Amino acid sequence: MIFRNTPVRWGAVSQLLHWLIVALIAVQVTLGLIGLELPLGMEKLAALARHKSIGITILALAAIRLLWRWMNPTPALPGNLLPIERFLARFTHAGLYVLLFALPLTGWIMSSARGFPVSWFNLMQLPNLVSKSGTLYHAMIEVHATLAIALGLILALHIAGALKHHFVLKDDTLRRMLPGCAPAADRSVAAADSPRKSC
Amino acid sequence: MPAFRAASALTLLTAVSVPASAHAGGRAIPYTLLHAHSSLTYTFTQAGAANHGRFNTFAVRFDPAAGRLAVVVDMRSFDTGDSQRNRILGGKDFFDVAQYPQARFTARRLIRTAHGYRAVGALTLRGITRTVVIPFTWRTADIDGREVGLLTGRTTIRRLAFGIGQGQWHSTEWVGNAVTLRYALELLPARGR
Repeated sequence: MIFRNTPVRWGAVSQLLHWLIVALIAVQVTLGLIGLELPLGMEKLAALARHKSIGITILALAAIRLLWRWMNPTPALPGNLLPIERFLARFTHAGLYVLLFALPLTGWIMSSARGFPVSWFNLMQLPNLVSKSGTLYHAMIEVHATLAIALGLILALHIAGALKHHFVLKDDTLRRMLPGCAPAADRSVAAADSPRKSC
Repeated sequence: MPAFRAASALTLLTAVSVPASAHAGGRAIPYTLLHAHSSLTYTFTQAGAANHGRFNTFAVRFDPAAGRLAVVVDMRSFDTGDSQRNRILGGKDFFDVAQYPQARFTARRLIRTAHGYRAVGALTLRGITRTVVIPFTWRTADIDGREVGLLTGRTTIRRLAFGIGQGQWHSTEWVGNAVTLRYALELLPARGR
């Protein structure tokens, strides 16, 4: 297993962070929607408390991920992209990173402004980022909701891009974020002596 | 607002059944609350985070010489700083202020400690009476030429012992059972008694 990134594929650490955040976002969106729907009561309290804990977890993982990205080579985009595709790829990736920070932070600010401190899984109470303010609280609800919708749109582009690379262009863009399979370039070399070794 | 509070506190005072025997002994000086400078607050844990609230209207009579302490709290005067949470806490599952508008503590005896007292007595909250011990420090000071008694301390009670948290809220997973009460009271010698 290769932990670090190479110029052609993502290492195990980047992959783990990527898919862990994917799973957490799925849980997070579910909890957020449940929290919105439920009437006032303990279930709503529980859903929102978990939503906050997972949001803080995503924020921490996003910070680690960005740090790891800076410490590692970033696999290059495929060479056959049109300028617009290149722009879309960079835009969606940058947008996703921005949202991985902005969504938890606006949620944290929202809680702080409401006067409900954020706790991480009932283990640790986090400091309030701002002092109590009804105006800021209501503004943050709008911003948080808008960013969540933006996340949905950008994720749709991101997934559509990955699937297009995999099924239409048949290149390694998706495969290099998956464990087990080495990129085609490496595979053809390795295949000569040991076909099962690399994939 | 202060005028309203003072009036409410006065109304409550009449409800405090402190026996008139307070004037009996030689140095028996009963004290009453100087409301504007006093606070009665509580803290509990909700979803892992500390939540604070306060009671704005309460009455206190303290008579160290006679061994008496009586407190009445207007349960409708609490404030968590959040209107939504105020509604929930004031409702049937928690304080149920419509049904139980008053909480009261009446000491049965005072035990002298190094810096104050431990008041052993009956706390009635949400219609349930339990014996609790309220520790506090006590000192008198001369503030602006008048004698003021300073009563401060804190104690922790279990909300479920008083039925605060009915139904789903009986669970302590998201709302802790322990509630810390903090009191910092300024008391004046009661006049005319």
